[in-house]
Amino acid sequence: MSDSELGYGSSFTVDSVKVIAESVGIGNLVDDAAKELADDVSYRLKIIVQDAMKFMQHSKRQKLSITDIDHALKVQNIEPQYGFIQPDTLPFRFASGGGRELHFIEEKDIDLSEILSAPPPKIPLDISLRAHWLSVDGVQPTVPENPPPLSKEAQKLESVDPITKLSKPANKDSAGKPVCGKAARLKASESVHVKQLATHELSVEQQLYYKEITEACVGSDEGRRAEALQSLACDPGLHEMLPRMCTFISEGVKVNVVQNNLALLIYLMRMVKAMLDNQSLYLEKYLHELIPSVSTCIVARQLCMRPEVDNHWALRDFAARLMAQICKTFNTSTNNLQTRVTRLFSKALQCPSQTNNESGPSMVPSMKESEKTPLASLYGAVQGLAELGAEVVKVFILPRVRWLGERVEGALSGIGGADRLAAGNLKHQLLKVLAPVVRAHRQPPDLPEDYKREYGYLGPSLQQMVSKLRSSPSSGSGGGAVAVVTCTPPLLPSPSPAPSPALPTLVSSSPSPVSIQHTSHTHSKTIESVANRNVVITSSAPQSPAPSTPPPQKFVIVSSQQKNQTQPASSAGHIVMHSSQPTIVRSQNSVVVTSGPAGVAPPQKVVVVGVPPPTHQLHQTHQQHQQHQQHQQHQPTAGGVSQAPVSVVAKPVFARGGATPQPPPELDDLSHLA
Amino acid sequence: MGDKSTPLLAVLQLLRKYNLKGTEDILRKEANLGDVEYENLDLPEVELASILTAHHTESDPYSYEFAYDSLKKFVESSLDIYKYELSTLLYPVFVHMYLILILYDHTEHASKFLDKFGPEQEEYYQEDLNRLCAVKNKDQVKGNELAEIYSSNKFQVQLSRDASTQLKRYLHEQKSSPIIINIIKNHIVIDVCDGPGRTQAQVKSTLGGLLGEASRNENRTKVYYGLLKEPDLQILPAPIEDEEEAEETPDKPKKKKAKKDNIFMKKPKSDPNAPPNDRIPLPDLKENDKIEKSKALREAAKRVQLGPECLPSICFYTLMNSGQTAICADICDDSTLLAVGFNNSSIKVWTLTTIRLRGMKSADKLQDIDREAGDVLVRMMEEKDRDTCRTLFGHSGPVYKVAFDPFKTMLLSCSEDSTIRLWSLQCWTCIVVYRGHVWPVWDARWSPHGHYFASGGHDRIARLWATDHHHPLRIFAGHLSDVDCIQFHPNSNYIATGSSDRTVRLWDCLTGSQVRIMTGHKSTPFTLAFSACGRWLASGGGTGEIQVWDLSSGLPTAAIPPANDSPIHALAFSRDGTILASGSLDSTVKLWDFAVISDESLNEENGNGATAQKEDKFLLRSYATKNSPIKSLHFTRRNLLLAVGSYEGSL
Repeated sequence: MSDSELGYGSSFTVDSVKVIAESVGIGNLVDDAAKELADDVSYRLKIIVQDAMKFMQHSKRQKLSITDIDHALKVQNIEPQYGFIQPDTLPFRFASGGGRELHFIEEKDIDLSEILSAPPPKIPLDISLRAHWLSVDGVQPTVPENPPPLSKEAQKLESVDPITKLSKPANKDSAGKPVCGKAARLKASESVHVKQLATHELSVEQQLYYKEITEACVGSDEGRRAEALQSLACDPGLHEMLPRMCTFISEGVKVNVVQNNLALLIYLMRMVKAMLDNQSLYLEKYLHELIPSVSTCIVARQLCMRPEVDNHWALRDFAARLMAQICKTFNTSTNNLQTRVTRLFSKALQCPSQTNNESGPSMVPSMKESEKTPLASLYGAVQGLAELGAEVVKVFILPRVRWLGERVEGALSGIGGADRLAAGNLKHQLLKVLAPVVRAHRQPPDLPEDYKREYGYLGPSLQQMVSKLRSSPSSGSGGGAVAVVTCTPPLLPSPSPAPSPALPTLVSSSPSPVSIQHTSHTHSKTIESVANRNVVITSSAPQSPAPSTPPPQKFVIVSSQQKNQTQPASSAGHIVMHSSQPTIVRSQNSVVVTSGPAGVAPPQKVVVVGVPPPTHQLHQTHQQHQQHQQHQQHQPTAGGVSQAPVSVVAKPVFARGGATPQPPPELDDLSHLA
Repeated sequence: MGDKSTPLLAVLQLLRKYNLKGTEDILRKEANLGDVEYENLDLPEVELASILTAHHTESDPYSYEFAYDSLKKFVESSLDIYKYELSTLLYPVFVHMYLILILYDHTEHASKFLDKFGPEQEEYYQEDLNRLCAVKNKDQVKGNELAEIYSSNKFQVQLSRDASTQLKRYLHEQKSSPIIINIIKNHIVIDVCDGPGRTQAQVKSTLGGLLGEASRNENRTKVYYGLLKEPDLQILPAPIEDEEEAEETPDKPKKKKAKKDNIFMKKPKSDPNAPPNDRIPLPDLKENDKIEKSKALREAAKRVQLGPECLPSICFYTLMNSGQTAICADICDDSTLLAVGFNNSSIKVWTLTTIRLRGMKSADKLQDIDREAGDVLVRMMEEKDRDTCRTLFGHSGPVYKVAFDPFKTMLLSCSEDSTIRLWSLQCWTCIVVYRGHVWPVWDARWSPHGHYFASGGHDRIARLWATDHHHPLRIFAGHLSDVDCIQFHPNSNYIATGSSDRTVRLWDCLTGSQVRIMTGHKSTPFTLAFSACGRWLASGGGTGEIQVWDLSSGLPTAAIPPANDSPIHALAFSRDGTILASGSLDSTVKLWDFAVISDESLNEENGNGATAQKEDKFLLRSYATKNSPIKSLHFTRRNLLLAVGSYEGSL
């Protein structure tokens, strides 16, 4: 119908009328009659809807309801259509076929007996009245009843484009502080100036709040901490205090890593978690402080006083999940967050050369140095990568499994209880992480010899895991369709203060690596997108030959958006993605640009990248910590041997084997250990 | 006979109307018309006129497009001083051309015409055009509300003398195609006024009514917008001044003693704009009312002086679990009770203080009470405390308005079931059902002095009632569409109504006549509020605009353009008249600086510049709620703002 294309109004088409006629049993309606009917029905419907609009408006609603139509019919002396009640809008379904297109409303058959046997619906809650202050002397208090003063979108905009804040006049629209009363009010409060684009001023109340919260978060009273974390996770209007909070956390981590104060580190990470969970906060602006802190808690050499007893593994796991959550939330094509985090972890895992490359001659010199990467850091790096998804595991862990196995083997056979415990944990973790990936990667049959050949020391255990996985019924299908288990633990609004030493939830672990696989699937996309960009890996010798720093190679994974570089770069990316033995441009000296000395013959194109500031800072802090540790800590000595049995006891508590589908261990349960 | 006979029938009807028997017979014979058609001559007057005038162009639907185009070109090419005034002609000409095309069955051409020129009409007419475009054949014209309004009324256009001369010259040139001349002659009233042509902003400020602007003559009557003298309350321990005085000088210590003879006091103080106190008979104050009144005045003395530097605190009452069922809310004058009307015909009354709601004792217990006792009012209530909330049942349709009477003893409600009910807040039952409206009643309000109330509804009529009569005292007819909102003037002498015809009218309660018709609203007004001084009237529209009118002239003094499309359903002036609060369905409460708005209006003559900047100047603050559209706003006697909204769930 030409009418339906009009800018003013539309009407039923002849086709619709015919379809309706058919549905009531009139088979052959002539075109003229249908047209006449269509016009008339359109007109009448429009009049009814126009009248119904009045009823909607007077009911102070912005959504037309069925009762409005009924009232409109009543006004026109037409019997209302009784019995049509629909709480929501009815979606039109669309169907086409036989050259005809049709919109219809789905009508489902309802089984009456089912309705009759169903339990009666809940009685609706009675209407109640609740009062709160929308404004006190012109200032909107930031209570939960009021919307957050600065919406998340506004914070996001501000962090992306800080100019907007300056260009905006003292706005009356966002219900923050009043234009006039503000100055007067703030005179009473001490104003703090931070070197930033805009000054941040905290009122007296905010300063008090900050003090209370930070004290409660790191204090000894678990109940108060729970309240404080709850407040951090739920309260709107905290954005003004964010810079302070983030500095608190990052400074706190710096100090406590040095002092090996595991409990405080756990508390600080829980603060990070709470802030991440707060719906009204947008943390991107503060990631440069948070990421180094979190990553320190993942890969630091030592996080507690007695590594052989204390459960610092839980902190590493928790922080790794936090990191994954941060990556998931804030990764954009401009900040390349995930790429940078991945690079950080893979750097920690970096073996001196590709040990599964049997013919790697260049491995020998740097071997010794890299062996010093502590097992705990390796564990953290593995965990951090694992949280980022299966594809990451496949690309960054799998190729190094041989070398890692050697490390584990060496530590397990050696003396030193702490090392043995660490090696045991690392092995467990590796098997757990790798098994699903290997399962998806390899075709059966799984022969122990093949595994041994390919994966070295860990091969046989891995083979067992994989075959167990294959035989378990739940893993029949691909990971994609499995129930949702996100890599971040669900929001923990009130962490239970009761510290039960054994984690009951964990012990009842069913072998379900499916959950892991699912997580990895959620992440595989981002990884692919990273891979699709041009990834160039170069390596360089360490700038500072501090003996305890992480392995000498530096991977620099760079995405370059420039199209003209696609050709060489994509080939490099290709190497990274598919070769199980990544060819890496290595250079013994610190010059980045040049290609490696002997080993690698054709000088590949290398894109030189300046390390972006936050990462740089990250490295620095990281190294700083490591150096601090180096001073403070002596390697676990033979003194730890006697404690080895204790650590063995502690191990089942952890029960890392099963990859539980339940939320990962809550840290407060472990805090008593510290 | 079909279409051909329509003009013939029209001619016959015309002949009959002028009683030209002979000619009529001859024509009948010649045209071979049967008796049936002859008997059924009932063409409406206006249709008749349009048939006859447009008869000879009937054959040529293209000429309409051409004629409209030519008129448009004429307007565009005329000098700027005339252009804007002349451009107001375009819309009515356009509408009537469309209707004529429909009347002559040129449906295709009519739709094409609408498509071609519709989008270029003013934005505020688009809603009407969307409604009008439903009309697609001449049978529908007869039954359609909007089409009938257009064809049975004349559109008002104001032109300066020079502009009208220009128009006449143009029409003279167009002699050959008389379409436009006919339309202007039949459907448009041109109100020629002396003086220079108006500017674009001036023209725009009064445009928007369904039938154009108000003619200047209609707003000549004097309106007594001043406030009444407050009766002396001699029982008071502290002497009380006239309320108006109290407003102007709230800090002044009240020195004057209550005097026995009011006449001496009245004369020096009387406001020249105030009506005589006895212009409308007002009810005598009962003992109890006097106590209430004195309490109010004492409270008023403690009032906070508001201004841009001193914004009111806002207490927000959220109705939880109500979904979209709550429709209206009202808070009584002393801010102790809250009533809410619901979709499901019920009314709930909450107490906002710790004093619980008490019922009256049963009849046989009442008999035992000594009527002469001083505390008889207390004694007749039940002793034990009752609930914090009571529900009133009685209506059989959504309750669109609830209103507390000034003395907190009664509650008024109006509903879709076309009744108005009066409820006692002592017995908690319905006392009277006022029937009179035929269709749903949209709004009902008390007079500030009690006793009287006014209502308006879908039947396009506003009524004035007194509680002791079950028939309306006055019927105010004149609106072309629904009366959507109604408000009593603070001096109880006038009633303001707002209607879907996008006019706001002021009616005199004494004479029942319309004294002001104010056009300029670009959307349907849904709420009205008189300023505390009685001179200004604010109205909030369906698309979120706020208009402020000066009752002395009937002209719009300020227009606050909408921030978004959400309708405003609540407006309230602070008790000292310095702040205007508006509540909108987009869940925000906005505070406007009324001192600036009224200042603006006084030097309005300088021309009103960019409206966007003005809005910034007027707006003091905006407070968002959590997805709770505002249903009602109320300033307490101490200038605390109370707002009521219903929480509609997280987004």
